[in-house]
Amino acid sequence: MKIFTIRIAFFALLFLVWYMVVTICKIPPYILPSPFGVADSFYYGFLKGAYCVAIFSSLIRVLIGYFLALGLGIVIGILLARYYLLDITFGRIILALQSIPSVAWVPLALLWFGITDNAVIFIIILEAVLPIALSTKNAMKNIPPTLIRAAQTLGSRNLHLYKNVIIKAMIPELVTGLRLSWAFAWRALIAGELFISGMGIGQTLELGRSLADMAQVMAMITTIGAIGFLTENIFFGTIEKRVRIAWGLEGGK
Amino acid sequence: MDEIQSKIKFVNVSKSFLNHKKEDRILTDLNFEIFAEEFVCVLGPSGSGKSTILGLIAGFIKSNSGEVLFNSKPVKRPDSSRALVFQEYALFPWLNILDNVAFGLTAKNYSKAKARETALEYLNLVGLSGYKDHSVNQISGGMKQRVAIARALAVEPEVLLMDEPFGALDQQNRENMQIELLRLFSKTRKTIVFVTHSVDEALKLADRILVIGNKPGRLLLDITVPVSRPRDFNSPALFSVRNKILDKLADPDFFIGADI
Ligand SMILES: Nc1ncnc2c1ncn2[C@@H]1O[C@H](COP(=O)(O)OP(=O)(O)OP(=O)(O)O)[C@@H](O)[C@H]1O
Ligand SMILES: [Mg+2]
Repeated sequence: MKIFTIRIAFFALLFLVWYMVVTICKIPPYILPSPFGVADSFYYGFLKGAYCVAIFSSLIRVLIGYFLALGLGIVIGILLARYYLLDITFGRIILALQSIPSVAWVPLALLWFGITDNAVIFIIILEAVLPIALSTKNAMKNIPPTLIRAAQTLGSRNLHLYKNVIIKAMIPELVTGLRLSWAFAWRALIAGELFISGMGIGQTLELGRSLADMAQVMAMITTIGAIGFLTENIFFGTIEKRVRIAWGLEGGK
Repeated sequence: MDEIQSKIKFVNVSKSFLNHKKEDRILTDLNFEIFAEEFVCVLGPSGSGKSTILGLIAGFIKSNSGEVLFNSKPVKRPDSSRALVFQEYALFPWLNILDNVAFGLTAKNYSKAKARETALEYLNLVGLSGYKDHSVNQISGGMKQRVAIARALAVEPEVLLMDEPFGALDQQNRENMQIELLRLFSKTRKTIVFVTHSVDEALKLADRILVIGNKPGRLLLDITVPVSRPRDFNSPALFSVRNKILDKLADPDFFIGADI
């Protein structure tokens, strides 16, 4: 409760200082609009539906890319865990790919796919496939052998063993992979959208720049941060925490 | 006496592992037999291959030569007729206590309700029915091992294999668990193969003790403990068994491998 009050007070103060700086220094709105300017942009953006359409289009795009990346990443992860030769060759490339920021793929994607949705989805897949592939591989390699042996001497095998032990033992690591992949997908989405045509958060952001509408630019940046925070920290963060408690990896209650 | 039924038989069993591309012989020419309703302790120093022997009986380790027979048939793969209890408990952390005990029953196609009902009876047997809804990390080491024993007994194995099950417990807990195990043994009359490296633990529990020597592991002594339970540690018979075992363990041959 106390923390909540402090937070409210902090944000109120922040907005006040922001407002005062803008009015006292007479900063033009295309450099820095007042908080009310940004609020206006949000209000009309949502009222006229442009922002809703942008958010909706972006979410569809990122979800398509994310789920394709999950399917591909889980298969790659299983193969890397099963085949040592693949791991020391292809597996190294994957590690190297991880240090390439998503925006570096944009020129390549544009040349291959044009300024279309497919270019963005391609970039999302490239980014999001890595964490889930690595998590799947580690999850498979880290299944405690005694748990499998215990299960076998209790009569569990084949499908029962897979369903009740192998997959269960992999879940905490997989959930971490799901969260990281999502975070990567979200960042790749925005990077890609800045360069393509159509509706979306990134396009709206870029449109704001070309119209020198700083209020719109700030509204979109806020939207990116808010959706990212809600999905990564609140949604995936909560699931991950619950799983870790249920699996006894973290103290609970 | 009834006809004595052979449960487990090792015939010239040898086992090597590949360590750094080198064949490492762990067990050599092992011959012994374990009979129904017997409590046998396998005693030996660290690294002598005791866990490997249990793995061979359970079926998740294959011998290089010789035969491991269970009910006169070669062991092919693990199944619930030979359940294993591990030193590190090996409970499933994502299941609560009751569902851990019910695990093997679900593999036998029991309905969920029936599996839980049966599991509760076994949890009762080890005195933990009050903890059925707890999670694994909410109970102590001694309790975890009781749950592991209940989980193994619930699948009604013919043989209960135990790999230093009380090794991680403190002295007090350990003694309680030994008494508890003997109570369960006299109640269920399972065949038990119990691995330990404590001479006194073996003397307290076993009908018969198999002493395994080191590098490579082989049978040094197969000795019956001719004392009824509960055992008086001052009894001359027990004292003589103890001395025979300690003599064998002190044998230099025991430390220096026979074929080195
Ligand atoms: N899978 C394996 N691969 C290679 N070597 C192994 C393997 N399993 C066991 N060993 C080796 O075999 C030897 C015997 O192991 P084992 O676990 O059977 O001994 P133990 O008598 O149970 O010892 P402890 O009392 O320490 O549990 C050890 O030297 C060990 O390093
Ligand atoms: Mg061992």
